[in-house]
Amino acid sequence: MSVTVPRGTLLVEAAKLVKVEVPVFCYHHKLDPVGACRLCLVEISPGPPKPTTACTTPAAEGMVVKTDTPLAVGARADILEYELVNHPLDCPVCDKGGECPLQDYTFRHGYPTSRIDAPRLHFKKPIPLSEKIALDRERCVLCYRCTRYYDEITWSQELTTDERGVHSYITSQFDQPLKSVFSGNIIDLCPVGALTSRVWRFESRPWDMDHVPSVCSRCAVGCNVTLWKRRHQLVRVTSHENDEIDEGWICDRGRFEYTHVNSPDRLKVPLVAGAEATWEAALTALLEGVQGRKLGIFLPQDITNEELFLLRRLVDGPWQDARVALERRTLLAPPQGETLPIKDLDGCKAIVVIACDTADDVPIVNLRVKKAVSKLGAKLLVVHPGHLDLDRWPDTFHVRPNPGETAEAVRRLIGHELLQEGPVGILYGDGHGAEDVDALTQAVVDLAEAVGGRVMPLYRATNERGALGVRLAGRQEDLEGCDAVILWGPGRPPASARFVAAWDSVPRPEHEGADVVLPSATFAETQGSYTNLEGRVQFLRPVLPVTPPLREGWDVLCELGQRLGMPDMDYLGIFHVQRQASRAVELFAPLADPPAPVPNPTPVLYGPARP
Amino acid sequence: MAALSEHAIEEIRALPPRFPHIRSAVLPALDVAQDELGYLTREAMTEVAELLDLDPGYVEGVATFYTLLHLEPIGKHHFYVCTNLSCDLRGAYEICDHIKRRIGVEGFGEVSADGLFSLEEVECLGACEFAPMMRYQRRYHYDLTPEKVDALIEAARQNGGDRAADSPRDAAAASQKPPGRRASSRGPTKEDSAELNA
Repeated sequence: MSVTVPRGTLLVEAAKLVKVEVPVFCYHHKLDPVGACRLCLVEISPGPPKPTTACTTPAAEGMVVKTDTPLAVGARADILEYELVNHPLDCPVCDKGGECPLQDYTFRHGYPTSRIDAPRLHFKKPIPLSEKIALDRERCVLCYRCTRYYDEITWSQELTTDERGVHSYITSQFDQPLKSVFSGNIIDLCPVGALTSRVWRFESRPWDMDHVPSVCSRCAVGCNVTLWKRRHQLVRVTSHENDEIDEGWICDRGRFEYTHVNSPDRLKVPLVAGAEATWEAALTALLEGVQGRKLGIFLPQDITNEELFLLRRLVDGPWQDARVALERRTLLAPPQGETLPIKDLDGCKAIVVIACDTADDVPIVNLRVKKAVSKLGAKLLVVHPGHLDLDRWPDTFHVRPNPGETAEAVRRLIGHELLQEGPVGILYGDGHGAEDVDALTQAVVDLAEAVGGRVMPLYRATNERGALGVRLAGRQEDLEGCDAVILWGPGRPPASARFVAAWDSVPRPEHEGADVVLPSATFAETQGSYTNLEGRVQFLRPVLPVTPPLREGWDVLCELGQRLGMPDMDYLGIFHVQRQASRAVELFAPLADPPAPVPNPTPVLYGPARP
Repeated sequence: MAALSEHAIEEIRALPPRFPHIRSAVLPALDVAQDELGYLTREAMTEVAELLDLDPGYVEGVATFYTLLHLEPIGKHHFYVCTNLSCDLRGAYEICDHIKRRIGVEGFGEVSADGLFSLEEVECLGACEFAPMMRYQRRYHYDLTPEKVDALIEAARQNGGDRAADSPRDAAAASQKPPGRRASSRGPTKEDSAELNA
């Protein structure tokens, strides 16, 4: 078989294109090749008369690669035999069992027996690396994916290798818990069961879970995730690689903040004055409560586009004077003109990050910035009063204005020597309220114009962009003075509230004593879509069913509309809502064309090729 | 905090510009720290990391990799006795046992009660032609005999335990190769082994 690939493509990737499996542990398509595990040995000609690592050798014109010669097959089997020298036989209780490359490769490439009877290395196990991650050093094959990920991708070295040679082991620095918000990705990276999730530990086996690709609900980046369920419980969240957004990384908030979905405290039935009630009674009580009062509505950050559209209709109609607040929102206005898509950060020659701690507010954008800088050679400028993790790059140019003076500092960057070469990406936040946002935005736009760059406003709330698209993104303070409030999500009632309706998935202290309580569906159950910070509409795929009496938000909003006598509120399903929303709101145009519920599966054996 | 003295901190701060990557400065920085403290404490490693703008984890990884960087206290006088093939055949373990008896310790890595001495077996130091040999006080000592070792221990005791730094940093300067037998007909001389730090 012959294959033509772009210059620089490594042999492992070229092999995938012709459907030949070259087993790898240390190689990962998002990390620099290192050649540590030696499992990918192949024979190449012309070349040395010995096996060569396919993960560090780029394909060349006329190169002949043989994977099935006795030399190559034997070399790989020998390496596997070595990998298994210290590997314990606890596969039956290992969380990785069933989706473990070591198992699969041993099955397909290894010897059926081992000739090694030397004593095995023993370590204490499992060792908690943090609240969320457990480390089993006996299972580790020292591929260094985890430490390389930490170092290359997150620019931190809190996970490291101690000792050397056969005595090497992975450890967190001085055995202190990992602090990084990006730590969970090492679980996905680990090709064996050495790094496992403590949240999911011993919950289920990989083969008895169902999974769907969906979108993360925790911030405005919109990383793609895979939701895993078992027996009507959401048991795991992993990344789902989308190179246009997340490159296969998700942050720990997205990965671990899902346990409320399975909480035994989940609200399932509506409550009126503390007593269980039917939806009919609860909605009646709610409508009576807000009747004639000054209404305030608090929205959760992960409200869907469809819910926003329906709520917009309500606020345009019967709830005309209602004020609306959005959880975690920034003060940024909707962007004017073209903005910089996340994927285009890769092409930037210079990146300016303004008034935003990206690691905290938009974690995966932070990783994209780091990639553009350390792997693709972009210059990095930061305008922020504090010390950020982006400062770890030795050549970061960091301006530290006093809080409130960021706009002037941004203007002073015009003509800066690092911004001479484009394209320039300008990322800006709102300084968490410390800045005059209008002045800052104007300064950013002026800078973009002067240096020929594009801007990327860094919104915080998951669907803030969608909420701005339908002008429903006020602040918590805006609810002051309202005497009836609907608290959807974790909002506090203002002091002025005489009537409080809470609408949430779990009880919260701030909802204590609410007059009406409505149960809400979570991101794992609801249909709908989010608009991420770049304006991209992405669809949720519910992994759990909505079990009555639980109802989805859009459904409840439709009924409220009907009860308030609005016309055309009797949608037959969410597709009808989406179709209408796509016509009514420019930002929601992609709703007209929802994707197939489940995308095509990728082949298990080879995986997608990434030349 | 400040596990390190002002002087050491200054010395470490001056290191990075001398290297293409800041990480290259970790080893010399750890040498400075070990010179000052005798061994590397967690605090010292953390401080080195801060001075070089790295996470302590990286420094820890480097420090645990090299056996010449000590993570446990060692004696003020530390014997690095080679026990590889040539030295072993010529009685390196007898020398080790002799040293252990003299300084009153049971095993390698143990520090004598007075805190003065400790010993460690090391891999080949590249002076097989003078086996058995050891590194002690920045110098190689050749053709070891119990008497030669006794003289060294006695001199150190006389010295009152004035800690002469014995660190890998000095190894480069001090291990000017002894005149090889082939290169020079002189062979090892008395000075080679009897030389002590003043």
